[in-house]
Amino acid sequence: MISVTPMASANSAAKIDLNNLSPEQVALDVNNLNLYYGEKQALNNITMSIPKGQVTAFIGPSGCGKSTLLRCINRMNDLVEHCRIEGQINLHGENIYDRHVDVAALRRKVGMVFQRPNPFPKTIYENVVYGLRITGNNNRRSLDEAVEKALKSAALWEEVKDRLHDSALGLSGGQQQRLVIARAIAIEPEVLLLDEPTSALDPISTLTIEELINDLKKQFTVVIVTHNMQQAARVSDQTAFMYMGDLIEYSDTNTLFTTPAKKKTEDYITGRYG
Amino acid sequence: MDNLNVGRHISGQFNEDLERVINHVMHMGGLVEKQLSDALTSVSEADEDLAKKVLTADSQINMLEDSIDDECTRIIAKRQPAAGDLRLIMAIVKTIADLERIGDEAQKIAQVAMESFSSEQKDLLMNLDNLGRRVLETLQATLDAFTRMDYEAAIKTHKIDKKIDREYEALMRQLMTYMMEDPRSIPRVMSVIWSARALERIGDRCQNICEYIIYFVKGKVVRHTTAEDIQKL
Repeated sequence: MISVTPMASANSAAKIDLNNLSPEQVALDVNNLNLYYGEKQALNNITMSIPKGQVTAFIGPSGCGKSTLLRCINRMNDLVEHCRIEGQINLHGENIYDRHVDVAALRRKVGMVFQRPNPFPKTIYENVVYGLRITGNNNRRSLDEAVEKALKSAALWEEVKDRLHDSALGLSGGQQQRLVIARAIAIEPEVLLLDEPTSALDPISTLTIEELINDLKKQFTVVIVTHNMQQAARVSDQTAFMYMGDLIEYSDTNTLFTTPAKKKTEDYITGRYG
Repeated sequence: MDNLNVGRHISGQFNEDLERVINHVMHMGGLVEKQLSDALTSVSEADEDLAKKVLTADSQINMLEDSIDDECTRIIAKRQPAAGDLRLIMAIVKTIADLERIGDEAQKIAQVAMESFSSEQKDLLMNLDNLGRRVLETLQATLDAFTRMDYEAAIKTHKIDKKIDREYEALMRQLMTYMMEDPRSIPRVMSVIWSARALERIGDRCQNICEYIIYFVKGKVVRHTTAEDIQKL
């Protein structure tokens, strides 16, 4: 008798019910989140659960609020003047907007990588250990181990292991972005936020980063904002489509890209006028 | 093109690509329909010339299948279609394979016209023609549903296959009796049996195309689903 098993795919993580996640499955819980830039409301009552150990993508046209939502997760919007936030984002049950939360400690748990690679003008080694040194770790042996581990996780070790003390600025764009990812994961965060991490890279470097994202989800919860819909389809397990500050549709990536439930989603992902 | 809605892409070129491929499928459907109609007429009117025409015209259908396949491959490679566009391309690729096979079945039916039947055997051909006309109507209804991607029409047409199967079985019983009563008629009756079988297969392929329409509209694969469950979608 022949037994048939479903074919593996890039987003073949065990299917989960996004509307019915158990507390252990949830990394981040966004509840009724509203965000205002002065008078203008940029996020409208967003509620969603982001599962642990998976890749969640935010897609949508420019100005839809996807980067704003991403930045809320490690309170980057605190730095924006006239920005007001209502609602909650719970990380393991604790509201990150609670008054007692230490923002620096939060950002150690929720790392972030930006669109353009931004290595410090230091050596590759010093870039990776930067976060660890800030936390007071100056033990040479432990730092060496952390550098190797982070660079291996970021798929960069083989390329730079013989020049760890060269300037990070001598690396290519794709290598710099992987170095920045290594720097972010060296402090072992729980969540990694990626804000259009490949938009400044060539297609081959992009594929390397995408492959890396797939490996990273074994250790971290990854949330990625991308303009490239095919990229969201390739790397994510869940996709959230946002439009004008609203969360229009949030479902598993396979469903969203083959049979979206909302017409707005269908129009956006098929490249139609809204 | 009620449900097709291929326009409105920001890329006008993509709209054109999809419209072109849909037009080619319609054209292929029209050719296949004509092939079946001609095949049935050639048998009922013992028109050997028309039968020969059916046999040679099949190559045009085969070429169209190849070219539509190529167009779909190019669209996938260049446009990376998603959601409804992706389901449309998948439905087209599968539909043209079934249409091509319907063309082949029409050829098999036309072969019968090349044989000579005695006047007593003519009523066999009349019964074959009755089944053929019902199958032709089903093919027309299927192509019509495909043109508009009409979900309701697809479900309605999907159900007709059961009737075709029943008529096919009744015809088979009649042909069996005929062979038992007059063994000398076996060679002729056998060719009628092959034609009836070809018609029954065309009914199945129309049913497949209806399933692709349902897949396109609802995003659900219903190939191995009962008629009752399809109704519940």
